[in-house]
Amino acid sequence: MDSSTDKGSGTPKPSRSLDLGFLGPLAVAGGLIALRFIFPDKLSFFTEVCIYTLYVMGNNVLMGYLGYASFGQPFYLSAGAYSAAFFFSYIGSNPLLAILMSLLVGLVLSGIFGPIFMRLKGNYFTLVNAALCAIGIFTVEKLLIGITNGNDGLWFRAKIAKLPILDIRLTQNLFLFVVILLTIVLFLYRWMDKSALGAVFRATKINSRKMRFLGFNPYGIRIIGFTIATTLSTLAGSLYAINFGFVNPNLGENSRAVEVLIATLLGGVGTVYGPLFGAFGFLGIKDIVSRFMSRWEFVVGIITILVLFFFSKGIWGFFNLSGTNVKNRIKSLFKAQSTGKEN
Amino acid sequence: MNRWFEAFIYGLSSSGILFMVSLALSIGYGLMRVVNMEAMLYYSFGAYITYTVVSLTGNFFLGALAATLTGALLGLLVETQLLRRIYHRAMMFTMVVTYGVFLIGVGIIQFIWGLNPKPVQAPIDGMLNFLGVSIPIYRVIIIFIAFAAFIVIQLLINKTIIGKALRAGIENKDNVVALGINIKKIFTITFVVASAFAGLGGALNAPIIMVGPYMGFDMLLLSFITVILGGLGSIKGTAVSALILGQVISIGGMIWSPLATVAPFGVMIIVILIKPTGLFGVKGKAFGFDD
Repeated sequence: MDSSTDKGSGTPKPSRSLDLGFLGPLAVAGGLIALRFIFPDKLSFFTEVCIYTLYVMGNNVLMGYLGYASFGQPFYLSAGAYSAAFFFSYIGSNPLLAILMSLLVGLVLSGIFGPIFMRLKGNYFTLVNAALCAIGIFTVEKLLIGITNGNDGLWFRAKIAKLPILDIRLTQNLFLFVVILLTIVLFLYRWMDKSALGAVFRATKINSRKMRFLGFNPYGIRIIGFTIATTLSTLAGSLYAINFGFVNPNLGENSRAVEVLIATLLGGVGTVYGPLFGAFGFLGIKDIVSRFMSRWEFVVGIITILVLFFFSKGIWGFFNLSGTNVKNRIKSLFKAQSTGKEN
Repeated sequence: MNRWFEAFIYGLSSSGILFMVSLALSIGYGLMRVVNMEAMLYYSFGAYITYTVVSLTGNFFLGALAATLTGALLGLLVETQLLRRIYHRAMMFTMVVTYGVFLIGVGIIQFIWGLNPKPVQAPIDGMLNFLGVSIPIYRVIIIFIAFAAFIVIQLLINKTIIGKALRAGIENKDNVVALGINIKKIFTITFVVASAFAGLGGALNAPIIMVGPYMGFDMLLLSFITVILGGLGSIKGTAVSALILGQVISIGGMIWSPLATVAPFGVMIIVILIKPTGLFGVKGKAFGFDD
């Protein structure tokens, strides 16, 4: 931690420069709602961006705070989506309960896999998640075909009930609902980032042995991080299910695992608002590219390489850096003026 | 009984393909400590080059030769242009970078050959009658070629000066360089040989499966399982685990057909969680568990 601040020798830490405090999440919500009215025909795109942001935020906990890359995030996403789908198809119709159920599933999954997986080192964690993802696909596609309808997917749009205040069956209301959820999560996420928990996460990523020496339990800390990541992914999954009104095994495809990693990298790893920009950038590029070609692995690959080698701070990091530069320049300008006066 | 024996032979030929394709990964991941996810490109490109050459000339052996050369060329390109830049980087970084390269390769395949799977005619159609079971001769040939590949790579790593320098270089790079050995060149040579085998594996697998742009994805996790089950850094381990996995796929698929696709992943999870060093991995060198 110290070395990173020392390098800049006097420059403030980038993550604090553009932080608006508690106004930040509200500003995000306001910005999203403003965008929705500026581009009214892009409503579904903005809804998807909000949902995807939650998913990327989950992955960001693993990648940015704990330093783990998982190639199996689609598994947790589709677990959330399928738990919501099962709820609508077989149990009830209240969307809030469906979301609650997917959160519970997320907690159960992290209770099962967290203690097992967080003992592993990074590369094995990546692979074991990839294997889990493959098994998950197989489970919904073949093993549970009786209740998941296999590749045809589950359709339940008609079964979603009206909420008392907000009828989220309408797309504009769903957008509002998702923005509210995202704002709440952003508040919590920001709190996590600023609290001791965030500091402990980052410290464990950098040197877990020293953390143990200081009396912390890195294993337990990682399990907490994994739980946050998994529940955020399942939450995003349940919102996906409500948004589309159907789920199929495509959502959990192994080959899509890298998309969320790239969105995280694109936005800026280990930052609070990075995931939002990552989701925006990634889905925006996807939206544009998919007009020209149906399968877009090539573009994803190019973005990966470019981001990793030349843009490693991501969009948010870039903003922050230029923001701090401008700030510092203004500051130094004032300083020069004041010193000039003194002279 | 005959059915089981047939499944056994089919499993052996799958093991052969699996071994040849996993070699590049085994050498990269196990010996050079870089996770080269793009290794499956050599396999897919090999298969596609075989398809092109076979459909142009009708000669499968020419196709296999072209595939081997393509694999070697790609390996040379990737090692000298990409991997050298990332050997020292964190494992997570190299994984994502090489996966990105893999995706670019898949995209290139889609541009050149399109999305539809292509069939390749097997060079030999004959059947071999053995113990009352008829087995395609082609499968037997694959088994022999894979065995030959195993011998060649074992000799290369254990008996030649290149292999000795390679193993020494993995232990202590600086000392080897101080002896006046160009360790970069040796890494490249080993890598190119392994990629050539991956290209050949793609060529040999082309008549068995349909050649499609996503064949690499299917093989990627399988070869990771092979390398981890065998133990990082052990070519012998890779060979043994390829033998095991071939049978898991073939005989497991015979017991219950979905097992063929999912059993390897089960094996992977069990191995990573219970014995992350694999069958032949060295305990001190294994990097599965956190300290």
